[in-house]
Amino acid sequence: MRSRTTTGVSAIAIAATASLALAACGGAGGPQAAAAGGLTDGKVVIGLLNDQSGVYKDLSGPNSKVAIQMAIDDYKAKYGDKAVAKDIEIVTADHQNKADIANSKAQEMYDRQKADIILDVPNSAAALAVATQAKNKKKLYINIGAGTTALTGASCNRYTFHWAYNTAVLARGTAGTITKEGGTSWNIVYPDYAFGQDMNKSFSAEVTKNGGTVGQSIASPFPSDNFATFITKAGEGNPKVIGSMHAGGDLINFVKQFNQSSLKGKVQLAVGLMFITDIHSLGVDQFAGTQFTDAWYWNFDAQNKKWADRFKEKTNTRPSFAHAANYSAAMNYLEAVQEAGTDDADTIVSKLEGKKINDVFLRNGEIRKADHAVTHDVYLAKVKSSAPEEWDYEDIVKTIPAAEAYGAANPACTMG
Amino acid sequence: MSEFIQYTLQGLAAGGFYALSALGLAVIFGVLGVVNFSHGACYMLGAVIAAVLLAELSLGFWVALVVVPVVMFGFGVLMERLLVQWLLALDPLYNFLLTFGLTLILVEAVKLRYGVSGLPYEIPAGLGGQVTVGSVNLSVYAIFACVFSVVVCIAVGLLMTRTRIGMIVRAATEDAGRTRALGINVGRWVTPVFGFGIALAGLAGVLAAPTRAITAEMGSNFIIILFAVVVIGGLGSILGAVVAGFLVGLVEAYGVAYAPAYAQIVIFVLMAAVILVRPSGLFGREEVA
Amino acid sequence: MSERMSERTDEQSAERTAEWTAERASDAAGGQAATAPSGQPADDAGPALLSVTDLSAWYGEARVLTDVSVTVAPGEVATLVGRNGAGKTTLLRSVMGLHKQVKGAVALDGRDLGRRSPDARARAGIGWVPDDRGIYASLSVEENLLLPPVVHDSAWSMEKVYDHFPVLAERRDFPGTKLSGGEQQMLAMARVLRMGSRLLLLDEPSEGLAPVIVQRIGEIIREIKAQGVGVLLVEQNVTFARSVADRHYLLAQGQVVEHLSNDAFAARESELLTHLGM
Repeated sequence: MRSRTTTGVSAIAIAATASLALAACGGAGGPQAAAAGGLTDGKVVIGLLNDQSGVYKDLSGPNSKVAIQMAIDDYKAKYGDKAVAKDIEIVTADHQNKADIANSKAQEMYDRQKADIILDVPNSAAALAVATQAKNKKKLYINIGAGTTALTGASCNRYTFHWAYNTAVLARGTAGTITKEGGTSWNIVYPDYAFGQDMNKSFSAEVTKNGGTVGQSIASPFPSDNFATFITKAGEGNPKVIGSMHAGGDLINFVKQFNQSSLKGKVQLAVGLMFITDIHSLGVDQFAGTQFTDAWYWNFDAQNKKWADRFKEKTNTRPSFAHAANYSAAMNYLEAVQEAGTDDADTIVSKLEGKKINDVFLRNGEIRKADHAVTHDVYLAKVKSSAPEEWDYEDIVKTIPAAEAYGAANPACTMG
Repeated sequence: MSEFIQYTLQGLAAGGFYALSALGLAVIFGVLGVVNFSHGACYMLGAVIAAVLLAELSLGFWVALVVVPVVMFGFGVLMERLLVQWLLALDPLYNFLLTFGLTLILVEAVKLRYGVSGLPYEIPAGLGGQVTVGSVNLSVYAIFACVFSVVVCIAVGLLMTRTRIGMIVRAATEDAGRTRALGINVGRWVTPVFGFGIALAGLAGVLAAPTRAITAEMGSNFIIILFAVVVIGGLGSILGAVVAGFLVGLVEAYGVAYAPAYAQIVIFVLMAAVILVRPSGLFGREEVA
Repeated sequence: MSERMSERTDEQSAERTAEWTAERASDAAGGQAATAPSGQPADDAGPALLSVTDLSAWYGEARVLTDVSVTVAPGEVATLVGRNGAGKTTLLRSVMGLHKQVKGAVALDGRDLGRRSPDARARAGIGWVPDDRGIYASLSVEENLLLPPVVHDSAWSMEKVYDHFPVLAERRDFPGTKLSGGEQQMLAMARVLRMGSRLLLLDEPSEGLAPVIVQRIGEIIREIKAQGVGVLLVEQNVTFARSVADRHYLLAQGQVVEHLSNDAFAARESELLTHLGM
């Protein structure tokens, strides 16, 4: 009797252990849109597809809907009765950071919910899936949250734009600057999935280009919560800089454990991708002095601050760069619709290509026709040692001009 | 050589922590026959409560170390009385599914209340910095966490081997029906034992707070490793959980050192090997039919 | 070849038993009001310590006991004899409250135990020694002895236990299951004696043990019997059963088919052995 029970339970535990990766559950569907006549369907439908429950929820998530709504409000206020798009709807969905879910949600948004454009989609694998859908459906997709350079490289297409940043920009900003300032020997630890591998490549290339060397690139399992031994290994060979290419919870684990290691203070920690939400969660003193590349900072100037104040009224929190980028992308899309008098995707693409923009998010911005990278000034930020107010965590050390940050258009992109 | 010692020490430090975390899982399975899937979520709750105590009541690490296990004990008692007990007579799968569902609820509830980016927590005063001997060094906190874990494991071990409560728990673990037939009201011990197991998960969570990201999801990955630990050690075996905890810590550290990308896979290879050779785990009882 | 042989033997003996059962059942029905069949002891030997009345038991749909009535008086040893599968162990488990699918009454000292839990029954004075001895591997010999609560002032002290079973004293710190089979049997019996159980349910205590150990167990049963403890003994070893018991219940297919005094049992031993297929 008992023996059978125990065996059964062992089987459960083993099965559970094996299949846990699949365990994260949850489901979300955006409000259903009904189709009608006019424009293309009598209205403009903006789809927001991002992580509404996982690691990127705070970075972008539901508050990006607020940002997009702000753009819609501003558009309506600006054009009033003359607005081409009088009926604008936002539909949202949670892709749970899974490419297959992103793929089917994007399909659903374009086909059933009649979305004219999809915004955001953090997580590179998910973004690439949505870009493919956009290409097949001939509908617009503006990526914000994902960093992969493939979107403006080998996987680029006529209907996909990359608004906020990419891994190459992060590498030029962070690895380039630190190496030039004397941090010439690096060891890199990266999470072993598409984004991490991409970051590792970009950073290694940038370090080498600026005369530095990368001793070791160490892959860590994703996700992971024990980095002590990885940090020790990364310290071997006495590098000047250890680069952590992790994001979200992994990054916090890495930094906490780095701060507790003997390397703290001896080796400079460079972080590949960091968001203000990470600093907020770990506490400013844990990151104090860490340099990283930021696409936008809310307290950079009066214009940003003003927008951030509006955002705070609605959300009770400060915006990340992704929130501002969602606003900017939605606003510029609506402006293009206004200008074209239609929401037909091909017409809008022609209106957007080559457009020069200066707005709350984009400074010296340009929608580069060649690869659809939206180039703009980015910033080398340094974490303050203490926060004067909640969310005020960054000093902008340097503005990296758009041309330097983005370099030349990616030759791999053929707009196929 | 010094590198090897360094990795060994780090493996042991992580192992002590795994041992403590798996202990509660083993105790609960032993006495109730319940595979508590929510152990990872309870670990997460322990860390979150510690962070909330600090942020909202300014109660620090040392207070949390006492308060959190007490709170989690109460939580465990409620969980057993309100939910788990009703399914004890059924196939163990039912309680497994119940605790799985509970995990989803707890994780989502924490996300809803505290967001997903995590909560800040710092190393308690006096436990920062490193100890260096020659070229080998370890963080003071890692040493503290390991020693603390070992002390708790030993205390639980003594409780189990030197007290009447422990004797009854061991007997009930082996065969609850027979133990009843010897005049012991096993049911009376089930609730406190469950609460105790959950309290241990919470304690592990407090211990993790200064050194790991405190997020709603922090237990989701962790529970996988814990399952590996208890399967390797033998489900329900307390000694097994402790030994396997250290074993997994060491294997993981050596894996990182010598085959970094495979560090976590190595654990599951070890698990598979143990199951093949000894299906009931290293210290699992070979059941008499 | 030998497998097939034994199969046939089983079939044949099963047939014989079935015939015999039917015959006896009709006998009993016919002669119930009249004097008891020769050799059947009177049931009113004294106030019953244990009385089982019309107990039936099921495993799911399968009925394994049918209207079984058994009594044990203080200081008396009654055996349950029968083939494997006759329902002997189920009867003990039902008395202990471990088997739940039952109908009928079980009373201790005339008080109905109703639906009381196994632990309540144990505290009321029933001591169960299961056929696998039920020794805990994770408890030492001494812990095995100390585990159950003392439930009656007739309980043996630890000195008395060790006095009677010096081997347990020698090995008190050993894990319980490191003892030999005979030692484990002694430990299991000593454990319920230390509780002070007044009724022992012994499930095949002689099984698989050397004759000298069986003899020792017989001595112990006689000694506790002399102290007024009642014993319900399940036994397949007829010789051993005869050496310790006062009365015998023969079980076949879940029914009591014979109820014999020890003398009558002895007289018909070979016939019974054949019928029981033992």
